[in-house]
Amino acid sequence: MILPSNNRFVFAFSTLTIAMTSRAHAHEAWLLTPAEIAALAQEPIPAIFTSYGILGLAAVVGCVATMVALLVEERLRPHFQPLGPLLQSVAANWGPALLRIPLGVMLVLAGTGGLPRHGTAHWVEPTLLVPDMQLALVPGWDWLAPFQITLGLCLIAGLFTRVAGLVLMALVVLGWSVFGIKFIDYAPHFVAPAIVLTLVGGGIWSVDRLLQATDWCAPPADIMPAFWRTAQILVGFGFVYLAVAYKLTQPTLLIAILQHGNLPTFGLPYAVIALIMTGVEIICGALLIAGRLVRPVSVVIILAITFLAVTLGETPLFHANLYGVLAMFVIIGTRWHAPRTTIATGKVLA
Amino acid sequence: MKRNALSQIGPVALVAGLLGSLAIAAPAYNAAHEAPRAVFLTLPETSPQPDLAFSITQDHRGNWILRIDATSFQFTEICTSVAEAVPVGHAHVIVNGEKVGSAYSPVYDLGPLPAGRHHIAVTLRGQDHRALIGTDGLIVAEQTLTVT
Repeated sequence: MILPSNNRFVFAFSTLTIAMTSRAHAHEAWLLTPAEIAALAQEPIPAIFTSYGILGLAAVVGCVATMVALLVEERLRPHFQPLGPLLQSVAANWGPALLRIPLGVMLVLAGTGGLPRHGTAHWVEPTLLVPDMQLALVPGWDWLAPFQITLGLCLIAGLFTRVAGLVLMALVVLGWSVFGIKFIDYAPHFVAPAIVLTLVGGGIWSVDRLLQATDWCAPPADIMPAFWRTAQILVGFGFVYLAVAYKLTQPTLLIAILQHGNLPTFGLPYAVIALIMTGVEIICGALLIAGRLVRPVSVVIILAITFLAVTLGETPLFHANLYGVLAMFVIIGTRWHAPRTTIATGKVLA
Repeated sequence: MKRNALSQIGPVALVAGLLGSLAIAAPAYNAAHEAPRAVFLTLPETSPQPDLAFSITQDHRGNWILRIDATSFQFTEICTSVAEAVPVGHAHVIVNGEKVGSAYSPVYDLGPLPAGRHHIAVTLRGQDHRALIGTDGLIVAEQTLTVT
């Protein structure tokens, strides 16, 4: 009885996602040369992206692969349980640094124009969070650049980390109101790390720790699990949305980018590679939304975006927000466990 | 036992519903065969369709000057994060396959060019830098210039 209503929701979600993609952009498009753009304008959509039969078959294969992965996880889970205490220790100690330092560097670089989109000179065009959101396009919002730099420095230092997480959330909301609907491409993948920052704080290598203010502005313990799940759902939603907006409904763009990067195809046509990438991204996103296989899915996504970044010659800092939040998913797992510091505190004897 | 089975069925049902509905919706959407909207701004058929040509002359300093003749198109210096599908924007100037600059008015100074043959192309862009596509495809004009 539950499944039909769930499926109605899922169908509505899918349709809405396709409907919302009409003004979508992505920084990868700027990698293409003028000749590649001219060729892309005439490129027909590959048949496998217009065929009900092939996409239906791909959906069945995706479902079977998901079932197999869930069964394998069930079998393997006991073998990984001994890692629990170690991961708990990492989460409480230096784990948060994996999120806040790269994210802070990303914000500082964006605010200084050090993370421009392909084809734009460095240190010329400050952006908001990501290369596509050039502040020059929105007159009157230049002050966001120094604001962003300050926020980034706080994150790098681990100063008022939880507050910085809340401010980052506010910055995303502001970005959406300034840049409009196209900000949906990035919003979920920045709100999620912001939520995680408010949950985990700065960790041991932080000014917060020196000030003994690690619990300052911590959310109430009873709502932390809900916040943790919200972060997973947001990251999952972001991947499903991007897969539909940029891969499933603009496959020729994805194929042009793969050809531009000379991505190894292992003998498969680029269209098939594009379909596999699309399916994997949708399934990974859906599993994060469902809160299942969170650790393996996070590892798969980290490897995939690293592979693509290396292939396309992009800096990993373009995805520092994702690396950080996915690393925290790997460390903490599906369910929220309040990290407990394992390093003993005490007086230093002279 | 029942809970365990549900925990397996739930995610599979979500994935099945999502992939199934997309397998139905995507072919219908892709059947329009539109150029990728992340890169291209397709002008509606009801919109005036720009016509593009250009001439190249050398000024007294030795610089090569492009005079872009774009009918039904309005040049503007104003760029936006999202543009409407209207024939307003700027032009990209491409020399030998490399974009060398943006022309925000019909006259563009290419500067001096070394001796040899140069393939020069001009494409029209919307205010958000996406390439304009008209009813006949990408709006582009090309010439080969030989500098002696």
